[in-house]
Amino acid sequence: MELAWYALLGLFFAVYLVLGGYDYGVGLLLARHTDPARRRAALNAVGPFFLGNEVWLVAAVGILFGAFPVLEGELLAGFYPAVLGALTGVVLVTAGVQLRSRPDGQRARAWWDRVVVVGSVLAALGWGAVLAGLLQGVPLRADGHVAGVSHLFTPFVAAAGLAVVALVALHGATFLTLRLPAADAAPVGLIAARLVPVALTAVGAAAVLGLLSADVRAAARQPVVAVLLLSLLVAALLTARAALARRRPGLAFAATCASLALPVVLAGATIWPYALVSTVDPGASLTVADAAASTPTLRLLGWVTLPLLPALLGFQAMCWWVFRGRTDGRAPVYW
Amino acid sequence: MDTLLLARLQFATTTSIHFLFVAVTLGLVTLLVGLQTAWVITDKPVYERLTRFWGQLYVINYVLGIATGIVMEFQFGLNWSGLSRYVGNVFGAPLAIETLVAFFLESTFLGMWIFGWHRLRRGVHLALLWGVAITAYASAFWIMVANSWLQNPVGYEVRDGVAHLTDFSALLDNPTFRVAFGHVVTAALLVGGMLMAAVSAWHLLRRTDDFALHRKGLRIGLITSAVAIFFVQGFGFAQFFAISDVQPTKFGDDPAAAPLIADWTARFGPGDYTPPALADVGLGFMILIGFTLGMLWLMLPLLWRDWVIRLRVPLRILQFALPLPFVALILGWIAREVGRQPWAAYGLLPVEKAVSPVSPWLMLTSLTGFSLLLGALAVTNWVLLARHAARGAEDPALGRRPDQPPVDPQPEPAFA
Repeated sequence: MELAWYALLGLFFAVYLVLGGYDYGVGLLLARHTDPARRRAALNAVGPFFLGNEVWLVAAVGILFGAFPVLEGELLAGFYPAVLGALTGVVLVTAGVQLRSRPDGQRARAWWDRVVVVGSVLAALGWGAVLAGLLQGVPLRADGHVAGVSHLFTPFVAAAGLAVVALVALHGATFLTLRLPAADAAPVGLIAARLVPVALTAVGAAAVLGLLSADVRAAARQPVVAVLLLSLLVAALLTARAALARRRPGLAFAATCASLALPVVLAGATIWPYALVSTVDPGASLTVADAAASTPTLRLLGWVTLPLLPALLGFQAMCWWVFRGRTDGRAPVYW
Repeated sequence: MDTLLLARLQFATTTSIHFLFVAVTLGLVTLLVGLQTAWVITDKPVYERLTRFWGQLYVINYVLGIATGIVMEFQFGLNWSGLSRYVGNVFGAPLAIETLVAFFLESTFLGMWIFGWHRLRRGVHLALLWGVAITAYASAFWIMVANSWLQNPVGYEVRDGVAHLTDFSALLDNPTFRVAFGHVVTAALLVGGMLMAAVSAWHLLRRTDDFALHRKGLRIGLITSAVAIFFVQGFGFAQFFAISDVQPTKFGDDPAAAPLIADWTARFGPGDYTPPALADVGLGFMILIGFTLGMLWLMLPLLWRDWVIRLRVPLRILQFALPLPFVALILGWIAREVGRQPWAAYGLLPVEKAVSPVSPWLMLTSLTGFSLLLGALAVTNWVLLARHAARGAEDPALGRRPDQPPVDPQPEPAFA
């Protein structure tokens, strides 16, 4: 039962990175445009999905708290600076996107757009750092607490954070290529194509630094799986590149979606059966089974939430279906 | 510097800001459901315009509800990791259910509602708003279940120092839950109604356009808040019985407090087991405000022949009374939460055991950062709300026809 809940947690967080990822990617790309109309078009391409995207994060943390309370406390408190950064980013993007068009002045809107850009960078960096922190292990002591936060400040964590920023930017550009009116999509497609090598380089740099880090090598319990998933990630990026070159944005978007889901799977699977690997005391490492809530709690959560899962997914799918296709003159403009 | 104190300050700041916004969300969405349903049934344009005008204010207000709510959720793990470690098995369940069953759907529905104008069939569009409202209430329900458990832990047993769930129905049956839920929900309705009445009064006083529309808003708001205050008072006083049974230390001079404190001293060691006086003082003021707002009933007869508008004084009173329910909201929340001190979970987990073992500097950074960020966002949000409220129902961006180009602002003249 713990495995099922761990998989569900991974699923929700991965879907959050995929969906929230293009929010942040589009947010990052606002920095490239100075034309207010194009900025607005980009934000309204995300439009109806925006609110439904970030709920995956809230739900993931809900699952984390309900099903893995011990992990929740140590994970968030142990990665305090990274979580703080990500959280600040999420709050800035949430407020920025929804409020930017409420003032009338162009200057106020440009100011809010800067808030969105900064928030997007922080969110991507923060979540990248959290995933890297998991891979590199934490100074978890025998008393069950993570000691200090300085363990986060390593080249690997920084590189992984930057890699997620690059992945998110590529993902956002690909999303816009798929979603903007055909005439506006072509230039964004070029940006996306140019971002693929950047993302590949960033992922490669993070991988090399990871391999060079003794902590990462020691924490990896399933190195074969890690290498396999890393190759899949590279393959996804190469697919995106080929698809963008052949003007098949749908396929390219599927590939960039995979490129943001895979890091979550990679982090979870590489340290399996642990949820947190201790760098100071091997005996203190926290297994997924130990991190989980006790059986009555898991059973209760299962009975209450699993029957509703089809409804959750169904209403999300309804949102994607109703607002599918490219934006056009008929689309409401609100953000 | 003390990590615990900083963590408590941060919790108080975030919760207070959060509560100010979610109460408006909950109150306004109820009124919006009424307005949009009336529009779909009667097809009268005034209801459509009211839905768009108030919907716009609702959506602006909603932003801060989410932003602070996300911080709240993370805060449990960031600052109170002991809470998840020792009581997470029980306390985490209602929170997890809230995020999955309520908030997840609420936001998904709202996104579709905002962008669904002129695109979805009217029935579907209305159903989405109903969905938003129902899940918003479900959200309040589960959050109050979780909070009530901290006030009065039930349905658990402690094994190896960790609480395990034994009886979930006890959480729903918690005496500190049901009455408090009624109190909070009706208080939210009071806030929503007062806001609608006060904004409409502002327009009527200034004789802006749209007399009919704001007259309707005033009547709906006034009647809603008058009915709501009755229930707020009822649920409020009913809570005293439940509280003195299960939380005798909360409001001072309860005879049951002394033996309980003796028991705690035996089990947890000597310490100060009485909450700070702050909780009591706030409570007194809140009750005073509650009684003052009870006089809203006196305005109801004035609805006859629009005397409430013609006399003008009632409009001014409504305008100036608007901060009162918000102040009461915060004071009530402080009484409930500070009254739980020094416990994170009453009689089970003291706050110093619940706080995360992070350095005070980190906690201070987080406290300052988030207080400034959320405070700035809250003020900005209120300014935007006030501006949009003052602008009136002429052409809100929400529900504007897509073929009507958005009034994108003219470039501002540069200073030469």
